[in-house]
Amino acid sequence: MSVWGAIAGGFAGTLVLTTALRAGNELNLTRMDLPFLLGTAFTSDRTRAKALGYVLHFLVGFGFALIYYAIFLAIGHSGWWLGAIFGLLHGLFSGTALVDTLLPLIHPRMGTRSTAAPSVALLEPPGFLMLNYGAQTPLVSLVAHIAYGTLVGGFISLAS
Amino acid sequence: MFGALLDAERGGSFELRPEAPYDVERRYRPGTNVLETTFHTEGGAARVVDAMTVAGSGLVPFRELARRVDGLAGEVSFSWRVEARFGYADAGTRVERRLGVPVATSGAHALAVQYWNAGESATEEGAIAGTIHVRAGESAVIAVSIAHQEPLVFSSREEVEARIEATAGAWADWSSGRGYRGRWGDAVIRSALALKLLVHAPSGAVAAAATTSVPEELGGERNWDYRFCWVRDSAFTLGAFLGLGCGADARAYFWWLMQASQLTQPRLRVLYRLDGGARAPERTLPLRGYRDSRPVRIGNAAAAQLQLDTYGELLQTAWLYATSGYRIDNDIARRLAEMADLVCESWRHPDAGIWEVRSQPQHFTQSKMMCWVALDRAGDLAKRGVIPAGHAQRWLQEAESIQDFVETRCFSEEKRSYVRHAGSDELDASLLLGLLLSYGDPGSDRWAGTIEAVRRELQDGPFVRRYTGEDGLVGSEGAFLTCSFWLAEALARSGRVEDATRLMDQLVALANDVGLYAEEIEPATGAFLGNIPQGLSHLALISAALAVGEATAR
Repeated sequence: MSVWGAIAGGFAGTLVLTTALRAGNELNLTRMDLPFLLGTAFTSDRTRAKALGYVLHFLVGFGFALIYYAIFLAIGHSGWWLGAIFGLLHGLFSGTALVDTLLPLIHPRMGTRSTAAPSVALLEPPGFLMLNYGAQTPLVSLVAHIAYGTLVGGFISLAS
Repeated sequence: MFGALLDAERGGSFELRPEAPYDVERRYRPGTNVLETTFHTEGGAARVVDAMTVAGSGLVPFRELARRVDGLAGEVSFSWRVEARFGYADAGTRVERRLGVPVATSGAHALAVQYWNAGESATEEGAIAGTIHVRAGESAVIAVSIAHQEPLVFSSREEVEARIEATAGAWADWSSGRGYRGRWGDAVIRSALALKLLVHAPSGAVAAAATTSVPEELGGERNWDYRFCWVRDSAFTLGAFLGLGCGADARAYFWWLMQASQLTQPRLRVLYRLDGGARAPERTLPLRGYRDSRPVRIGNAAAAQLQLDTYGELLQTAWLYATSGYRIDNDIARRLAEMADLVCESWRHPDAGIWEVRSQPQHFTQSKMMCWVALDRAGDLAKRGVIPAGHAQRWLQEAESIQDFVETRCFSEEKRSYVRHAGSDELDASLLLGLLLSYGDPGSDRWAGTIEAVRRELQDGPFVRRYTGEDGLVGSEGAFLTCSFWLAEALARSGRVEDATRLMDQLVALANDVGLYAEEIEPATGAFLGNIPQGLSHLALISAALAVGEATAR
């Protein structure tokens, strides 16, 4: 196992995850747009938000890859299949605690369940499993995160 | 999403109307695309201000339609109802609430209905509905925001109202910068504003019309999808932009045209999608049709036809662009030269012609004239050093051959007119495009005879039909407004300015209450037929107004 493998896996995994989410948009399956959600936490300008969001999304991708790496080190096992399981858990965590609960609390331009009649423009909150962005969103998100985890796990074990 | 025009029951709509019987009048705020509709009822009067808002700074919806109801006198009650039907009423739609706001979602599409002082909304059978009561001095606002492949954005009332006024201001600024100050100023500016609404902002492409399948004959099959960009319209489009001082629009349009046509170069498709794609497969939808006119089509099978006139119109567009001082780069210059080469090889083929007939291909005279225009403009561009001159001699030789063909086989001594296609005695108003694009001498006997023949056989009052003879379709159609404007321009260019002015006055009076034109008009009733607003009608109006102005100045 090597930290360089984690970084390479984080890059490849985020690339595939981002591509899978965009494909989900184009296939009319979901309105989830993670770069837009992340970027609008820092700017209200649409174009800048999307550009910044992609950068942030990659940084988050690297961060999670390093967390995977630390856990692999702690348990003494790694591999693509273990990465896939981590990806599944990661996807569930993202759709529930991370994006549904935590993000609306810290995002200055996102409504929460208790928000009513906004006095400034607010983004639609994702809801449980991000279902507000379309009924197929959990499926798209889980598939994308499993692909991410598989690549991170695979790269880390390849770099052993 | 809102297709009630094509199926009142299933199509989806956003209705807002007084609950009591009313009289109504409409207008655009002068110089803007912000619509004002004033309702008078027994109990009072109220005005509805409609705007497709222009995105300002800050977090704004992907697209937004804002409607403000201003009480003017007494009290007026309105009912409103938003029924969104995604995917041409074929996709499942869910209506829910987010942050207390009713939203309709379907796949990667969503719509939110925010409202202020507009009562409590109820959701019923997939619709969102409510009532408004406004007294004099009060107002209510309803904003429909759209999201595509992203989360919805919910705005405050202040933000929505600010965007309505900012939108009106942006349009007024744009209009005040237009160059036309002639006899038909209001009509020309309204036409320019209508064209701006047909511009696909992300690409610069200009849609031929905003609608699909509004019929050319009520109850008939002549129902087409015009939400594409036709190369046929390119010379008029660029000419209008340049003539009205819209340099940025002219540049965006030309570069879009050259980028889109690169996919198929040196061959041209008849039309391109607004995103520049070349495929537009035609299919029919299970909708009832405008006043039962079926089929309802999306896509357009004309995309795959051979229409030789497009080469003339595109090279005329490039010529206009270059001679107006804009730069054509080496890559585009080489492609334009390759198109001229292609015209040399293909002008002898029969084609579907400018009107996209679905009958057998013919040697349409207008197509041959436009091939001549293509080679003539290519030769001139080569002489100016704009495009490679290696094959210029061949272009000029072939242009002479085309002219021989037209003059010997496409002119009727009996009618003293050019005819619709080689060997026929039918007439076609599109022949006038030859005169407009400088095929031959506009003061020649042949053009004078052709103008007379068009007036004699195709004109009825201000109305001009497209052609005589068959087109491979069942039924008939109304008068084609563009042809009337072409006739006015032809009269002006051939020195008959008084006749042109008289015809223009009549045509300008035919616009609807807000200054828009459809594709066709029913001469007996004055009812519009075909898609609306029709870009080519407005382009032809601008071109004719500019031409009459120039002729008058001479």
